[in-house]
Amino acid sequence: MLVINDLILEIPQQAFDEAWDSQVYSNPIARYQAYINELCLSSILPWLQQDLATQAKVFYNTTASPSFWELVNGTVINVDSIKIILVPQETIDLSELRVPQEWVDIPGLVGDYYLGVQVIPEDRCIRVWGYCTHLQLKMSGIYDSYTRTYAVDASNVNDINILTFAISSEFIEPTRAEVLPLPALSTTVAQNLITRLENADIVSPRLSIPFQTWGALIENGGWRRSLYQHRIGQPEQSIIEWLRNGVTQAAQQLGWSNLNLQHVGAARSIQQMAPTSILARQLTIAGQIYELRIIPQVNEEYTTWRFELSSGKVGIIPGGFKLRLLTEDLQAFPDNEDIATTATEHLFVEVALEPGEGIVWEIEPVPENYDQEILRF
Amino acid sequence: MHSRQTIIDKFSTFIQFDAERFHSWVKDGRLRRSIQSCINKNPEETSDDVWAIYWYKRWQKEQSSVAQQHLNAFLQEPCYWSSQKLAQSFSATQYSLADFFQIGITQVERILKGFNPSQGFVLKNYASTIFSSVIRETLRQRHEVDICSTWGMLRKTSQKRLIESLEAAGLSKETITNYTNAFNCYQLIYVPSQTNTSRKLARPDEKTWNAITKAYNMQAPSSKINAQTLESWMQTCASSIRNFLYPPVTSINAPTGSEDTYEIIDNIPSNENSPLLEIIAEEEQQARNSQLSEIGQVLVEAVHKLELEAQQILKLYYIQGLTQQQIAKKLDIPQYTVSRRLNKIREGLLKVVFTWSKEKLHITVTSDILKSMNSVIEQWLQVYYSSGAYVSN
Repeated sequence: MLVINDLILEIPQQAFDEAWDSQVYSNPIARYQAYINELCLSSILPWLQQDLATQAKVFYNTTASPSFWELVNGTVINVDSIKIILVPQETIDLSELRVPQEWVDIPGLVGDYYLGVQVIPEDRCIRVWGYCTHLQLKMSGIYDSYTRTYAVDASNVNDINILTFAISSEFIEPTRAEVLPLPALSTTVAQNLITRLENADIVSPRLSIPFQTWGALIENGGWRRSLYQHRIGQPEQSIIEWLRNGVTQAAQQLGWSNLNLQHVGAARSIQQMAPTSILARQLTIAGQIYELRIIPQVNEEYTTWRFELSSGKVGIIPGGFKLRLLTEDLQAFPDNEDIATTATEHLFVEVALEPGEGIVWEIEPVPENYDQEILRF
Repeated sequence: MHSRQTIIDKFSTFIQFDAERFHSWVKDGRLRRSIQSCINKNPEETSDDVWAIYWYKRWQKEQSSVAQQHLNAFLQEPCYWSSQKLAQSFSATQYSLADFFQIGITQVERILKGFNPSQGFVLKNYASTIFSSVIRETLRQRHEVDICSTWGMLRKTSQKRLIESLEAAGLSKETITNYTNAFNCYQLIYVPSQTNTSRKLARPDEKTWNAITKAYNMQAPSSKINAQTLESWMQTCASSIRNFLYPPVTSINAPTGSEDTYEIIDNIPSNENSPLLEIIAEEEQQARNSQLSEIGQVLVEAVHKLELEAQQILKLYYIQGLTQQQIAKKLDIPQYTVSRRLNKIREGLLKVVFTWSKEKLHITVTSDILKSMNSVIEQWLQVYYSSGAYVSN
């Protein structure tokens, strides 16, 4: 039995005041879910950052969170390489820890620890009441098909001080059970699903299609983000439109901007486009600033696109870095990758794309706040 | 309340309250005969802790209700002391010591399920930690539920609690499934707008009821209902939940048979021939005891190294049985500071025991062992602060 060690944390005032309006969501249900998750996150972060006995880096993915909150309850935070899933609820009785299936059965979303949090907006505080591991969820959790959640009885939920000890000491334990990969979705099917689920009147898209399909859809960051954008009535524009009209606000939030460059020996201008207009996104990789650029390379009959990674201040990309492009359903293709065998000035990949085609870029090492995004051409 | 002295009394008598106060110890004839026959076979054993382990192992092995009742009798005192301590600090509420005792004593089965003698648990002490935490936790839950509107309370209840409540209300399995599904639709769809907080949530408007009903019917094509029905289902859920949190005072603590009643099944305990020593390995017990006292030493040192405020918090929590809120008020610091400190203290003590185990016992500490250690520390803290040992330095 859990000996209740009540850990009550304050919700910081500013976060409390701002959480309601901080992002756009499709309907009041999604918005409230995001609200509760934001309150939870903003209380947990400072506590872990200040109280953990180690110098571990505590962080979360700012770009990915809103699209998750739109679709499923739960927030991911990282303590170095340990992944903790916060599961906020408002329940007063702490009889069970109930976790949405997405965090348990989707390989890309599985965590090490799952934290039960009671959020009490009325008192501007949260109660962190216990935790369990992924292993425990799979071994002693009971699956409920109506809500698609796993519930662990309170008697199997552990005291919080054990978690804070475990993650800041040399204690190690197996935390994850094996999770089978989900059947792959084709781009066509995914796009159809997004169209089907984009209606904000569908209050629970996660319960509207079979789990295997749903899981594969949202495991792909680009599709998940796309579903979110569609549901809030802001489907993402194509790259051509960004170049023509300027990047959208959503893209700006990701860090994209339009740039005009002087190229020596510039190609002829494409109709309706500024001659040297390119797109750039700033990235932070291992603490340093880099820039990813998308540069149209205009030829006589077609345009190719050059994805280029260059360094900000340092001017050099360290050896071992990789720039990779994938199709929207995350498949590789010939010549899709450039690797810095030694330190170099640029990494680049050039592609020719059909109109409407989507591309996902990846970089190794993974940039901060990286979430797959589909760039549509 | 006077403590019981003999093994027979400790394992066969129950507290009788008069109004809110201890009145007397009531004997149970059947249990008396049962323990007497065991004592006759092992007259030299006088430690109540050893007898407790004996009955615990019998309970484990035989799932017998007699064993559980012996332990229920044994745990009357720890429950009483835990209740009394909390009653003193909660003196301004509507609860009496008897109320607290009532809340605690229902936990005996759960205590037995969580008890782990091989990990250094002592039943009395382990039980005390559970009694204290359950009484506090029940009070907290009741308070938070009491200040909720019906609609807010429905929002703030777990599925497990709902099902328990409906089961306690005697509803059929099928009904419970339907109500639970409706409840999930309710929680999904009816969310607070910012101005209504969850707690005082108002009755949903017709539009919301229709949306909830629609969602329910989509998943239940063969037995659709209308919005009025769904609302009445929710009302039933709400009253079941409230009733569950305030169970009627039944004779949970009543002895099972009067002093003189003779029952045929009395013979069952005396057919058990295993002598005490076969059931409890003596060396094992001694090794455990010495380990426990070493851990105790390690913990004493660790506690003394804590900052003054931390030590103060521990004293207020364990000696006076104050809540975090009360401690915060007394020390003039915010509650969440008390909370965080307590967590830090417990984390630190766990680290100390962990390190000691690795160095002295050379064992691989698994998650289960870590959890046991945490519980042992909690048991130790209770004993340490109630024994007055903290006074000496």
